[in-house]
Formats: sequence, structure tokens, C-alpha cells
Amino acid sequence: MVSAPSPTPEGFRVATAPPSAAAAAPATPDASAALTAQPGTGRHAAPQLRPPLPVKMVIAGGFGVGKTTTVASISEIEPLTTEASITEVAAGVDDLTHTPHKTTTTVAMDFGCITLDPTLKLYLFGTPGQDRFGFMWDDLVEGALGGLVIVDTRRLDDCFAAVDFFENRNLPFAIGVNVFDGSLDHDLDEVRWALDVNEGVPLVLFDARERGSVRDALLVVLELALARAER
Amino acid sequence: MASAAPAEGAQGSPQAGAVRPLRPYVMADDPEPPPAPEPAAPVAPAVPAAPAVPVETDAPPGEPPSGRNSLALRPFLLTAGRVAGSSSGSSDPPLPLETQVVATAEGLAALDGLAFERQAIVAACRVPQSLAELAARLRLHLNVVRVIAGDLHSARQLAVYVPQASTAQDVSVLRRVIDGLRAVPDSRGLPRGNRPA
Repeated sequence: MVSAPSPTPEGFRVATAPPSAAAAAPATPDASAALTAQPGTGRHAAPQLRPPLPVKMVIAGGFGVGKTTTVASISEIEPLTTEASITEVAAGVDDLTHTPHKTTTTVAMDFGCITLDPTLKLYLFGTPGQDRFGFMWDDLVEGALGGLVIVDTRRLDDCFAAVDFFENRNLPFAIGVNVFDGSLDHDLDEVRWALDVNEGVPLVLFDARERGSVRDALLVVLELALARAER
Repeated sequence: MASAAPAEGAQGSPQAGAVRPLRPYVMADDPEPPPAPEPAAPVAPAVPAAPAVPVETDAPPGEPPSGRNSLALRPFLLTAGRVAGSSSGSSDPPLPLETQVVATAEGLAALDGLAFERQAIVAACRVPQSLAELAARLRLHLNVVRVIAGDLHSARQLAVYVPQASTAQDVSVLRRVIDGLRAVPDSRGLPRGNRPA
């Protein structure tokens, strides 16, 4: 067990306040916390509960491969579902006023969380893996520690979009082959060949129903992320 | 936002007085926006009937709200047609899903004066939580929560802690996450031993 003495005991990194917040900075101790205070926060005189530092990982994959099961296995809360839509990613009112026929696509997204310690909370977002949901990934992967792409070896092509996306965004990710039915139709080398991912992408077998198995798969991703960050 | 608002205002202003009273739900607590720290972009008036408001495509415009069930309302009525990011300038990226929000003492003091979603959001934020949790627990559209949280933030009733994307490359944070996750017991409740490399 590696103990990681954190140079920042409370887990908040010193942040540079954005210019707009800088004016308010003297009044706000929070402005120097890792969570960048938004403009205006400095005017809050009363102390609030300090929230934990939120970190997130993305669980991607096609429909029915076990994303929600994976999240549920390790989340400390029942997985929640929220909806996000394309409207905001489409640059807001300005553009849409000129394309009034644009429709709003709403997709459900399951997520859970794990409080790792009082100052650190890991969120797991499960996201649909189809191409047409790519817009959500931009939103999701910004600031994500890494991704786990879950594949069902009977439907490998379902995860291509997620693999492509994570590769393009240079997000540390691993392929998790869900063996929830106890069988594996292909060996891992075949899976790797079929997915055409390089040797740097870990390929792990895991069982989405087992918390320990999910945890280990996530750890593979995190250790890859750590190795990259240390470089 | 700033460029489109005048055009929208020109369309909507003459009707605004007539349209808005039909939707008391929308205007319940939407007075003039509080003086924002930055030059506030003019808030687009609630013009649900205008085709320029892009978020509703499936219902005829001008249809009165049906009953008190908020889910029956088109979600962006709650935000006067604004979408995420517009409240603090369109150049800002939308708040990340994991952004933590906490009610301020000011917000809790004003709780009784807030209406509907705003009240629910401030009340729920007695405990710090993420925008995603807030949206899921209150059954609100995520982007609606983003907009309202921005409003409440401007009104100093909600503290918004935006995480930094650079945290993802922070070695000490990653180590803490790894250590914290390693301590998660597996399904049988047995803590996990050292990971084999």
C-alpha cells in the first residue's frame, strides 16, 4: 500500500484565480482554493461548508455492455440518472437562433460516486457510446482522470467510437472486457487485434457485478494516468 | 449572447408584457437580474412563443402551462429560454458536471423567499454536491440546473466551486485517488491487499 503524503493536506490545489475573480480575491479565502471561485463568490461573507475536490472518470461503451452495472457495483449511492442535451454544447442561443430547426437531443446518463476521503470524491459517469452522443463526451472528458471502455466481445464494434474518442483526446483509458456471463468468446489478443489499440492501452478482464473487480479495472486506468502524469 | 440579445429583445419586448403574465411560474422570481460583477449581458426576455428560442421543438408555442407539474413544462421555461453558459457570458464553457455547489448563508436566509426550483436547489445544497447530483435528485434537466445555479450564484445565494481540468494531471491527486480506491473493499467486504503490479 503506497501512502501518498499529499503536499496539500486538504486536497485543494492552489489555483490562479481567473482575471474576473481576481478583483474579488482579497475578500475570499476560497478564491485561492483548487476549486476556482467563480466571479462573485468572493462576495459571500459567510463561510460555507467546503466541498470535496471532485474528480471524475468516464465509463463508456455501447448499450447494454454493463456501464450502469459497473457504476452501481462501486458507487456509494444508487446510480443517479440525469439528462443532458445537445443544446448547450451547440454554443447556445446565438447559433441556434440561426438554425431554428435544430432539435434538442436528450440522453440519459447514469452516474455514481465514491467518497474517497472527506476532501476527495470520485464521480463515475457512464455515457452512451454511440457516435451521435459524441457531443456529450467533450463535456464529460474535460478534466476527467481517465476512461474505462467496456466491451462485450460479442459486439466489439459498439465500443469503437469510445476508443477513437479517448485516443483523440489523449485521455488515459483502458479497455475493460466484461465477462459477466463467465464466458469469453475471444482471447484478449484477439480482442486487442480487433480493436486495433496499441500495446499502451491496458486490456483487462473484469466482472461488472463485482465491486472488487470494478475497482481493479479503475485502478488500471488510474495507474496509467499516474504514469503519464509523472512523465 | 450579447449579439443575439438585441435582436431577440426587439422581437420579444413588445410582447413581453403580454406574454409573461401568462406564465407566472416562469416569472415567479425573475426580477431584474442582480448587478453582476461583470457587465451583465442583457438577459433575454422570456419569449416562449418566439421560434428563436431553440429548446422546444415538440410543442406548439404559446401553450399555457398545464397544471403545476413542473415536468409538464418545457424545461427551459424555467430559465427564461437561456441555456447553459449564457448567464455568465457565452464565452464561458458550461460548468462541468462535477462542479460542486453549496448554499450560502445568504441563500439559506432567503430560502423562504425563493420559489420552486430555486428554493429546491438552495435547500438541497445545504450539503455540498455536484451539479449532476443536483439535477438527478431534483429531477431537473442538467442544463437547467446549470443556468439556475448561475443565477443563484450571481445572487450570492449559492457558492459554485468549479474544478480545474488540470487536476486530472496532478500526480498528488492521482495518488490520493488510487490510494482511496485501493481501500475500497471488494464485494465481500474484505479490504484489498496490495495490488500486484
